[in-house]
Amino acid sequence: MTNEITLTIDNIEVTVPQGTLIVEAAKKIGKEIPVFCYHGKLEPVGMCRMCLVEVGTPVIDQTTKQPTLDAHGKPIIRFAPKPVTACTTPVSPGMAVKVDSEAALADRKAVLEFLLTSHPLDCPVCDKGGECPLQDLTTRHAAGTSRFDYEDKQHFPKKYPLGDLIVLDMERCIICTRCVRFQNEIAHDPVLAIEERGRHAHIVSYSKPKFNSHYSGNTADICPVGALTTRDFRFGARSWELTNVPTVCNHCGVGCNMVLGTRHGEIKRVMPRQNELVNEIWLCDKGRFGHHFNGSPQRLTKPLVRDGEEFVETSWDEALKMIAENFASIKETNGAAAMGGIAGAHLSNEDLYLFQKFFREVIETHNLDHRVGLSAMLEDDTAYTVGVGVGTNLGQVGKETAILVVGSDLDQEAPILYLRVAAASFKRGAHLINAGGRRTKLDAQAKVTLRYRYGTAPYLAWGLVSAVVKQGLAKDLQGFPLNEDDFGGLPDYSATKVAAITGISVAEIEATAKAFASAPNGIVLFGLEAGHDPSLRAALETLVLITGHAGKPNNGIIAVLPQANSRGAADMGILPHRLPGYVPIASGGGLSAQEMLADGSPIKTMLIAGADPAVESETYRNTLSNLDFLVVQDLFLTETAKLASVVLPAKSVAERDGTFTNLERRVQAFEVGLPLAKGEAWADWLIIASIARHMGADWGYASADGVMAEITQLVPLYRYMKFENLVAPTALERKTAHYIYEGLSFTAEVREGLQWPTLAEDKTAKVPFRFIPPAEIQNPKPNLILVAPRVLYDDGRLLAESEVVKNHLVKPMVWLSRADAAKLGIADGEQVTMSRHGVAVTVPVQIHRLLNEGVAVLPRNLAGRLAEQLVGAGVYAEVEIQPVRN
Amino acid sequence: MTKNTRRLLVLFIKNLIFLNVDRQFAYYNIITMWTQQEQQELTEILKKYPADRKMSAVLPALYLAQREKNWLADEDIEAVAEALDISPTHVHSVIGFYTLFRKEPTGKYLVQVCTDLPCALRGAEAFYQRLCQRLGLSPQGGTTADGLFTVEEVVCIAACDKAPCAQINLEYYENLTDEQMDGVIEQLRKQG
Repeated sequence: MTNEITLTIDNIEVTVPQGTLIVEAAKKIGKEIPVFCYHGKLEPVGMCRMCLVEVGTPVIDQTTKQPTLDAHGKPIIRFAPKPVTACTTPVSPGMAVKVDSEAALADRKAVLEFLLTSHPLDCPVCDKGGECPLQDLTTRHAAGTSRFDYEDKQHFPKKYPLGDLIVLDMERCIICTRCVRFQNEIAHDPVLAIEERGRHAHIVSYSKPKFNSHYSGNTADICPVGALTTRDFRFGARSWELTNVPTVCNHCGVGCNMVLGTRHGEIKRVMPRQNELVNEIWLCDKGRFGHHFNGSPQRLTKPLVRDGEEFVETSWDEALKMIAENFASIKETNGAAAMGGIAGAHLSNEDLYLFQKFFREVIETHNLDHRVGLSAMLEDDTAYTVGVGVGTNLGQVGKETAILVVGSDLDQEAPILYLRVAAASFKRGAHLINAGGRRTKLDAQAKVTLRYRYGTAPYLAWGLVSAVVKQGLAKDLQGFPLNEDDFGGLPDYSATKVAAITGISVAEIEATAKAFASAPNGIVLFGLEAGHDPSLRAALETLVLITGHAGKPNNGIIAVLPQANSRGAADMGILPHRLPGYVPIASGGGLSAQEMLADGSPIKTMLIAGADPAVESETYRNTLSNLDFLVVQDLFLTETAKLASVVLPAKSVAERDGTFTNLERRVQAFEVGLPLAKGEAWADWLIIASIARHMGADWGYASADGVMAEITQLVPLYRYMKFENLVAPTALERKTAHYIYEGLSFTAEVREGLQWPTLAEDKTAKVPFRFIPPAEIQNPKPNLILVAPRVLYDDGRLLAESEVVKNHLVKPMVWLSRADAAKLGIADGEQVTMSRHGVAVTVPVQIHRLLNEGVAVLPRNLAGRLAEQLVGAGVYAEVEIQPVRN
Repeated sequence: MTKNTRRLLVLFIKNLIFLNVDRQFAYYNIITMWTQQEQQELTEILKKYPADRKMSAVLPALYLAQREKNWLADEDIEAVAEALDISPTHVHSVIGFYTLFRKEPTGKYLVQVCTDLPCALRGAEAFYQRLCQRLGLSPQGGTTADGLFTVEEVVCIAACDKAPCAQINLEYYENLTDEQMDGVIEQLRKQG
């Protein structure tokens, strides 16, 4: 084959694809060429010179154009007079590389002598010590002494705060620029750079605040020396003393794989664990630094029962008995319809499964829901039918794929997903279309940006469907011919009409429809800001079905769900109208969270697990305080727990095992990191099972994987999700003994988790089309729309326990565009009052250079829940705005 | 309104308003740092580059930003970054790499005298010291009280054969004697 090249490395023959770099070709035969600046995820630069090797190419006879042969009939190899960098040199046919020759070893020795001229050699007090490529390669390759003048060392400050989270020791730096390149190429936050030259060169950040990026922790991982360390782990422990436990992040729906480094029952640090299908080797700063809730002194340690206005500690047995008695008596007097449950979407699948089983089998009601807080009203059933196909890998999709993002600020909502989508476009040329009501960071990497008016996303989606049909690009579906009838009910969503409603031009709508339909692969991501209108989901489903972008890898829909196990909560049937596995309930089901918490709700008693609805609205708080009996199981004494009759301490994610299902439907297991739980905390599934047992149920669950074993039996979607399948390590081709060169801890085990297949992947089932008309646009020309998006550093209860990120938490403030600020005559920092339906909120203004006119942004879930007071459970609403004049 | 009064005004306004947040996204350039003339020149410069490669214009844009007072304040750097759609950090890094861009207050005329070995053999070292003395500066160089001249010792300006030599802003003055140098200084003083 022409695109395969054969070469020899230290006389071992190896065949690799054209364009492969020597350093990668060497890995293939298990030969390690030492590197510092080279990193598999970054563009090679050849800066550190550590990978110098001798390279020779065959001598070509100019007359015959054939290699000249020696007396033995072998091609004569002419070696380059100087060594070359293996990390920037691609292989060529017949090339000969000497990695371990005397000259190459001498070069390595000399390069290390240079790199160490100013290095402090303070490994005994350096956080990187023990997992440091520089330390490793120095012991292996360097001379024992240096010829440089000690007096000539460059001195820099030893603990310079490069940002709030990262500390720079410039004396240790070898100017490999991995951190700078990571920020430029991967994070797309170009906030790091080298200033000055030669021996004065040093790393700087001039963004405000400094090192302004959600991904700063990764630079400390990939730093091949101890120059960048995190404020969290500085002098925390020696890396070899840590017990490393594989776990899954519980802060958002991406499900990043990570390693808890624990010692003496404390989490010392969090590192990424490689999973090329989820987070590659990255973690966002929230996941990395937001682990402190596990060890917080604020945690609940014992069951509490109400005694008047106070809580008194009690034993588990007493508490469970009391709950069982109360539940039984209320069921007897008021009936099961007066009982309900709310479970938060960051509980594990096992907890959630038992939660719904408890309500459906023991209490005998369907009054249960998970849709409160960030998950409020967001119901995604598209995953069941046309979710992305099994085997989808956003880390590989490129030119052949169109990606349509609708209403999601990925950098804030699902940071690692942002990295992968941005790279698909920026690095590999995917056709990325970013549709949203306001500018987001992803716009910079998008090929096309569509700016629709808030609330009109469903019209845009139906407009795309119509444009695809009109252009004759609609395809047969999985072997089922597409009938005219399928579109019989589809009203006129012509590009002209949709353009008038959305504010996007006819040409853009038609071009987008064509680009998406004609790409071999198509992926749609939609988020909270697209709105809760079920019409949007129906339209997006139809779009992927008629373009053939469903039922196969790298095709389908991803809902950017907010919480770690939002997907699992829907899978496990924590919904009033669905059983586990998306089975509809014939009778119609029970009450939703909104109905249960509304004024005049018929509910008399509730069990609330891992959710805090009381902070969301006064109505909810009133309903909860008027209940006859409220049981709350949580990590903290939340506002809801303060209203409870009994509060039960739950184990945190690090203290127990279980599984989460991520937003690509990947089920992943996490293990016990801290075997000794805080106080007498129990895992949520055990609490629920114990209540059930006290109520006379014959529930013998003894472990989370035992619960999962039952799920595999009863929920067909989960039939392969046994723990033993989920924790089976995966062998990666690039796996070497030296993880540390890529910035991972030694003991990171690679597992990929398992995805459940969608209905579209079942070749015998036809996914039905459905048409749901979009909601009427109330006011087509609103004066000002207030948007309440999710931000990474919000006021979530779990994040609040991490002192290290405290400065990053977003303070309540509203972003206004320059134009709107000018109209109101207000400057940055001044106060405005926004009002809607008689509710008024006063906040300072921050004028946003890039925001579009007519849109104001006040993030949700901040202190005081100001945005929620105005927009309720929705995401955006028209508001009145007045400057506050003193 | 000259550029300096504008800068003072901007600093004044910046101190008035409350800026606790990421200025990358804030409306901090209340008054642009460019004069009308500079804005026109910048537009001309940008025409030479593709619209999505504005960062290629960073060197000419920095020369333009530095032209009036011969050094770059933070506001100038931020103005260049905004005009070229790149991060201020990136602009700082370019400035840090090239010695002709300066971030500290500098005289209108920057006099750089090479005193490295070949030049020193032709008397450049003594020439430099006498120059400092005549301008009332310490032997380490510095800026004259009137803010007109900054003198500094540098290593190699690629004119060893014509030493003693000095680079004044972008102009070269070669085979200098004290008298000739005084003439040059006098002439520049007249220009103001």
